Amino acid sequence: MTELPTSSDDTGSVATDSVDAALQSLDDEGMVGYNYAYLDEHTKREVRRSMLKAVAIPGHQVPYASRPMPLARGWGTGGIQASLSMLGPTDTFKVIDQGADESVNATNIRRLAETTADVATTTDTTEADLIQSRHRIPEEVLTGEQRLVLQVPIPDALRTVDASDAANRRRHGHRNYGKMWVHLYENVVEYGEIQIASRYPTMVADRYLMDPSPIPRWDVPKLDDADHLTILAAGREARIYAVPPHTAVEPLAFEDRAFTVERFPEKSCHACGSTDTYLVEVSEELGTDDAASFETRYACNDSSFCEKRREDPDLQKDHHLERDEVQWGPMTADADAGGESS
Amino acid sequence: MGYVAVTAGAEIIERAEELFEKQRVAGEDADLTVEQIDGQLGRLTDQAMSEGGLYAPRLAALAVKQAQGDTVEAAFLLRAYRSTLERFDETAPIDPSDMVASRRVSPAFKDVPGGQILGATKDYTQRLLDFGLIDGDPTDPTEAWDLPEEGDPEELTNVTEVLRSEGLLHEPDAPDVDQPADTTRESVTHPADRDEILQELARGETGAVTALGYSALRGYGQVHPTLAEVRVGDLPVRIEHPYTGEEVTVTRTRVTESEAVVPVYEKRENPQFAFGYGLTFGRNERKAIGMTILDASTQLETAAEPAENPEFVLDIVDGLDSFGFIEHLKLPHYVTFQSILDRIRAIRSRANSNDGHSERQPAESATDPTGDND
Repeated sequence: MTELPTSSDDTGSVATDSVDAALQSLDDEGMVGYNYAYLDEHTKREVRRSMLKAVAIPGHQVPYASRPMPLARGWGTGGIQASLSMLGPTDTFKVIDQGADESVNATNIRRLAETTADVATTTDTTEADLIQSRHRIPEEVLTGEQRLVLQVPIPDALRTVDASDAANRRRHGHRNYGKMWVHLYENVVEYGEIQIASRYPTMVADRYLMDPSPIPRWDVPKLDDADHLTILAAGREARIYAVPPHTAVEPLAFEDRAFTVERFPEKSCHACGSTDTYLVEVSEELGTDDAASFETRYACNDSSFCEKRREDPDLQKDHHLERDEVQWGPMTADADAGGESS
Repeated sequence: MGYVAVTAGAEIIERAEELFEKQRVAGEDADLTVEQIDGQLGRLTDQAMSEGGLYAPRLAALAVKQAQGDTVEAAFLLRAYRSTLERFDETAPIDPSDMVASRRVSPAFKDVPGGQILGATKDYTQRLLDFGLIDGDPTDPTEAWDLPEEGDPEELTNVTEVLRSEGLLHEPDAPDVDQPADTTRESVTHPADRDEILQELARGETGAVTALGYSALRGYGQVHPTLAEVRVGDLPVRIEHPYTGEEVTVTRTRVTESEAVVPVYEKRENPQFAFGYGLTFGRNERKAIGMTILDASTQLETAAEPAENPEFVLDIVDGLDSFGFIEHLKLPHYVTFQSILDRIRAIRSRANSNDGHSERQPAESATDPTGDND
């Protein structure tokens, strides 16, 4: 059994004299009857090896066994396997689902890590060593000390144009992305622009086409030349891929039809007033007799950062860094946004 | 934030779990024991074991109880538990003719070596609700049977051996590998080998296997098999003794096995039968037969229909995968939905503005904060 590099106990290893002794030494941390961090050490090592391979070949999908987890497939089983394989007892773990720490599924995943891996948890992005997220990259700039695990439902961007994994693996092998380009071109012909909302097809290190998971287009530029490591893990599909620090990440687009992010013209967060964050709209019924009358309000999607902004409206996304003016995703256009119908 | 439905803490999750548990214990009735489930609802536990890929009747009964009868949920519990178990040995390969069969029918022949064994089945009964069961009827209807003293159970020759001896059956291709793959330890990549296909089908969801197998019969495929036989019985589990090195039987597993032959006429000079195989834990004849059809149809090289495409079949057939992904739609999706709203609105406004004038404008770029949003 491998020694946990970050283990805080005296020996850091498991007694092997007898089964009872082994179980006894495992009881010290985590959940009784289960190995530290739920998965057995061999499985965690296999997952880490797949992650290392994924780091070595940025954007390439590496198959791994993907064990059944006590969460349902499609609910973050890939992400939690990646997280549990990396976590040690001294790590601080943050889990967000659709931008929110307090979302039910995020709470459930955090609970699993707490009970089995005995880690500290946080909602503060800047305090986390490891962040597991579904469909968002936090608003605050991630640093080279941090790792981001994104949950992935569909690991292959080409799935949209061909359902066959065998055919798509061949295309990746040949760097043959013609079918995706044709798809984007047909988009432009049909709609005047590319109508892909999230899961935007993205080139990694000018070699592999990657599905960046269903993060909004807003978050895709944050992956380009980032300081942090991003691991993308799909449980149901049994694939892991990665964007290592300082890797070129470029969304596919045409010269005359550039990549665009979501826009929130003339909108700001109703709670903190932010205009440079990803907003989601919340409709509430007006207290009138007219049942069909709604009021739509916009709110920051990153609930943890929104809370900080409510205390300090001028807080920058790179407030915790020594450098200033760090590029981290787009700024919201708050001027001359005509023609928006809502 | 006002989105109350998705914001919750650990306490709310625990309460929801407690409410779910309350549904089971709220009634006035006695608690259902694991033994009762194992003994009286064996088809449920069999299905959970088969789809969970773990033969453990008592654990399966516990899983069924905990899942309140939801078989896929029960299989899910078994799989999650199975993945924490150490795999310390491999069993020796078993010849299916070692099976002690309690049921065996061979539709291909009127009579077969060893004979037809109807066994315990409801196949030929009228499906009438038996209101007598409401009050319970614990008497054993076979009590009065006058049976001769049983000898040792005889081994049954496999019906396909009859065909094979005549050269009518296409011999399976020699396996490419010495050791079969274990798809729970190594994920499937396509094209999949037959050992991987059979493993995935054996753990497939009963309804999915039945439906996809049916599709091939219903006209979306060319396979209309004749079943050589369907058997239910106990197979010995043998391991190599760590000291003597000899094979010893450590336990038995109840399985359902099905074999089918499919006429293949393409090779005119040597027309033969192709072969389909199905095996599931526990008693589940419809799944075993569905698996047999899918095994046969995925071996066809045409792949013109869904059930003939091994990639399609394996991607669709796993109950845990489909259960998880279908139900994950209940998770919040407001980030991606906001993104979709952005696209729909942008395209609508572009369409509206294009009605008036057909001027083409380049779209704004991500790095241009003043780009407008037409």
